[in-house]
Amino acid sequence: MTTALELAPRLTNASLKKVWTVDETFDWSEKIEVGTDWAMAPELISIYGTETYEALTEEEQKRLSFYEIVNFFSFVLYGERPLISGLMTRMYRKNTQGPLTEYLHHFVDEENKHMMMFNGFCEHYAGKVYPEKKIVLPREYAAGEEDISFFCKVLIVEELGDYYNLAMMSDRRIHPLVAKMNRVHHVDEARHLAFGRELLREHASDYIDGWTDEELARFRGWLVDYLISSWGDFYNPAVYKDAGLPNGYQIRKMALEHDTCRTFRENASAKLVDYFIEARLLEERPSF
Amino acid sequence: MDQKTIRDELRGWILERSGATPDRLERDDQPILDEGLLTSLDVVEFILFIESIRKEEVDIEAIEPEVFNSIDALVEAFFAKAPAPMESALG
Repeated sequence: MTTALELAPRLTNASLKKVWTVDETFDWSEKIEVGTDWAMAPELISIYGTETYEALTEEEQKRLSFYEIVNFFSFVLYGERPLISGLMTRMYRKNTQGPLTEYLHHFVDEENKHMMMFNGFCEHYAGKVYPEKKIVLPREYAAGEEDISFFCKVLIVEELGDYYNLAMMSDRRIHPLVAKMNRVHHVDEARHLAFGRELLREHASDYIDGWTDEELARFRGWLVDYLISSWGDFYNPAVYKDAGLPNGYQIRKMALEHDTCRTFRENASAKLVDYFIEARLLEERPSF
Repeated sequence: MDQKTIRDELRGWILERSGATPDRLERDDQPILDEGLLTSLDVVEFILFIESIRKEEVDIEAIEPEVFNSIDALVEAFFAKAPAPMESALG
């Protein structure tokens, strides 16, 4: 198996070959007609397959798709902010000096551009980025657990985001600008994911055998909760309100409990959960 | 919604979410975070619940984690304008 240290120079070369800028790649003067264009693939809309969704007209579904994509870009943007901060603090450590830190610079550079890209879209077309509602409370960590938790968070935001990117980047039904943003994001994320998976696997194998059964159980409980909580970002009451649907909070509750939405989350998380089980970070499949 | 109803709603949500017995949150000044009744991940969901009964968004940048310390602190931070039960009854 290729180690993160072996992978890093190859990923650095790939990043250098694919340098891009937000301004040169995207033209925000392209028009998006809210309620006329699909801005997100309908099957990816958070309440797709529910009675509430089926009761909407196609125009209302398309309007909802616009606010859903703004929400998707908003929470991925917010997910990338602590990611960049965390990557910066992990540069130039004894165990990351050399090729690893060199690649971390490209990783940060690309994540920064993703944030600019998502912000450019949200501000230009919706006039806002949906605010995040997260508050970080202090936690106690076992040895190595903080780094492992950090890379788990990185992988969750990137893997779930990439599931959506892959589903939308070649979808001819949705607006070409949105498809292009998904494609650009996916190309960079493919490298970040390869690197993150390997680095996390190595951290896990370095530390978790030294944890007590209690520490391991506590970590696994946190990881399940974090994964499930991350899915909550997709069901934003403010999105439903902006799309003209009453009782946004009740719609969120309905969708989180609806079997169709639950099955969707299970399927979309399958690859990520398989990886966590294989890396011994999870013991079994969580219930969504 | 008056302050008593709000306090009952907040208490009910926290107890249901945490699975804790009612005696762990009998009083409105009992600690919520220190007792481990809510985690960071619960707080995200809790804020959305607060917004739903407040009918107004919460500006996350304007609040400190301490507002989640007790029901008293929550009411003061998010529902200061809600009428007291007597005021509500008087219309």
